[in-house]
Amino acid sequence: MTNYAGYMGRVLEIDLSCRQEREYPWTDRDRELYIGGKAMASKIMYDNFTGGEDPFGPKNIIVIATGPVTGTFAPSSNRFDISTLSPLTGITTSSNCGGDFGFHLKKAGIDALVIRGQSPEPVWVEIDDGKVLYHDAGALWGLKTGDTQEGLKKELTALHGPKGRYGMVTIGPAGENRVLYAAVTSGERAAGRGGTGAVFGSKNLKAIVASGSHEIRLHDREKAIEHHKKWTAALKSHPLTGSQLPRLGTAGLVSTMQMRGQLATRNFTAGRFDGFEKVSGEALAEENITNTGCLSCPIRCSRTVEVEGQKVKGPELETLGLFGPNLLNDNLKLVCRWNRELDELGMDSISCAGTIAWAMEASEKGLWNNGLKFGQVEGISQLLDDIAHRRGIGDELAQGSKRLSEKYGGKDFAIQSKGMELSAYEPRRAVGQGLGYAVANRGGCHLNGGYLVVLEGLGLSIDQQTPKAKADFCMLMQDLMESISACGHCLFTSYAVFPRFLISKPNSPVTRFVNFIIPHIGWVIRLLNKCPGIAHLNLPLIPYTYELRYAVGMKMNIGKFLKIGERSYNVERAVNARFGVSAEKDKLPKRLTNVLQDPNDPSSRVPLEQMKRIYYKARGWGENGLPDEKKLRKLGIE
Amino acid sequence: MMVTVKLFGLLRLDSGVKQLELEAATVQELYPKLLVELSRRSPDSSLALKDLKACAVAVNECPAKPGTKLRDGDIVYLIPPIAGG
Repeated sequence: MTNYAGYMGRVLEIDLSCRQEREYPWTDRDRELYIGGKAMASKIMYDNFTGGEDPFGPKNIIVIATGPVTGTFAPSSNRFDISTLSPLTGITTSSNCGGDFGFHLKKAGIDALVIRGQSPEPVWVEIDDGKVLYHDAGALWGLKTGDTQEGLKKELTALHGPKGRYGMVTIGPAGENRVLYAAVTSGERAAGRGGTGAVFGSKNLKAIVASGSHEIRLHDREKAIEHHKKWTAALKSHPLTGSQLPRLGTAGLVSTMQMRGQLATRNFTAGRFDGFEKVSGEALAEENITNTGCLSCPIRCSRTVEVEGQKVKGPELETLGLFGPNLLNDNLKLVCRWNRELDELGMDSISCAGTIAWAMEASEKGLWNNGLKFGQVEGISQLLDDIAHRRGIGDELAQGSKRLSEKYGGKDFAIQSKGMELSAYEPRRAVGQGLGYAVANRGGCHLNGGYLVVLEGLGLSIDQQTPKAKADFCMLMQDLMESISACGHCLFTSYAVFPRFLISKPNSPVTRFVNFIIPHIGWVIRLLNKCPGIAHLNLPLIPYTYELRYAVGMKMNIGKFLKIGERSYNVERAVNARFGVSAEKDKLPKRLTNVLQDPNDPSSRVPLEQMKRIYYKARGWGENGLPDEKKLRKLGIE
Repeated sequence: MMVTVKLFGLLRLDSGVKQLELEAATVQELYPKLLVELSRRSPDSSLALKDLKACAVAVNECPAKPGTKLRDGDIVYLIPPIAGG
């Protein structure tokens, strides 16, 4: 039960081994400290993991959590998070997903699921208005994600008639076969990173379906709806969320990344690709595409493309970049096709492409004779199928680049951090992003790392090469994104936090001054972090605090909001410490820290150790890169 | 100096023009000439000088400023503001 609106007041624990459920204890005090989503999941993992758990064992848990604004029809608010112990990295992972599953889970009367145990046989779980039903998944096992969802719809129609509206999460063959970077799919969206799908597979859990008729209550309906209207209008009129993302999607970044030297090319040996125009957002826009979006999202950044006569989800920037330039491939149609195949097989495109790129270079260097070659695109479709079904070299590629480089050699060019392959941003031309990749709790992730590249050329244009203030802004952005995510909002809403003129007038004196001054104000961020009381205020530019007040009824200000993000980041770090994470694990491959991208520019590498020291200090962590008991207590982590 | 101007992002989508040849000595000098040419090629477009000046500019794939001098054969890239990934 809860006194707050927005929440359903119920966290349900399901033990698949014995097919029993119980209420997971989660109080209003917990809601105030962690809000929901990823932050909530981190605390639940903190309370459940000791450090000895096997990602594929029955003691691993999967937390599927919504935020309090999920389903309130606040703009871009229907996200949900899947967190678990990752088989790819051996530490916690969290993967955020759009679509409508979060909405339906809340309509079923549930804020979050905690799934433990292992089912003896393949099972799919139905949550019908809060009641849990277990169904045999034998007939669905082996099916791709699209066929699985169609099969589920038929079974649901047979069980309940054709009237129902459902949200679904499913796995494909990659999850069943425990590919270490298997994804969980929901509609056409995916919780891609860290192998959440493989953990589903290890539990013999093929799918979860949620539906119900519970009311998602708003605290102050009138004010909340008025706020939603204003916020939606602001998103629609902002140059990034109102024009660029709806019309070009994330793929629109390819050209800018090329100009900035940030487009990962040939397994991150370069930051520019001669054929970039052929795999750019502009080229994608020339295809017969439409844009779509998640439930209640005015941004609508998703692309729909045609593959073999079918209209399907188009590739995001990461897939375009990593299956394009990073493999020396300029065939856009092939990337669209592989993107579709990856979704159907249920695999993370980032880790999959990163592993293939490593294998191509290992083959070129004579370390592993696998027949793969940069620019050779024939056979990739078959390779993806082989990975998902663990056949031939696909069985080895299913393990990710870190394990393969430990077996064959070539660690210096295994482009991963903590076992997770990096996204498509070449960090030697965005050194703050490089720091983010290294210190990110879940491993080499651009978003969990604070997405500093948004200040380093993709949005604002601060000096890409200076390490100054990058550690401080990395911390700030990580904390802010943790809090936004915990609410249930899409991170893309945060782009509208940047005042419009900074984006639409990048060459104006004011914007230039902002770009100049940011590297000199790291101390302000540190001060704000130490004394959040000075941000005991709300600003119209930061709509999230108003949303929590009006929709949820939670007293909120900017300082408190950032503190929730900091708490979340620290509690996740504390869990990972139990699995061996420390400063030594916050690293990048030598290619990015020791080899210059441009031999004539000594700054074209990531000065990681220098930035790490400042980052740990700013976080209030020890030199071992960890929060101590005092720090955790100060944050209210018990 | 005769240069090739390549348009990206919404600039390309709105004007329908991928690239064109123009004569200009600096990036700054390019803007009004480019606007005239784009207005001629796509009369319905509502592009204004401020839209061109808001773009990130690169010459031969290296970031450039309005004052950057141009040489014969240079390729000038104009990319409107962008973020998200």
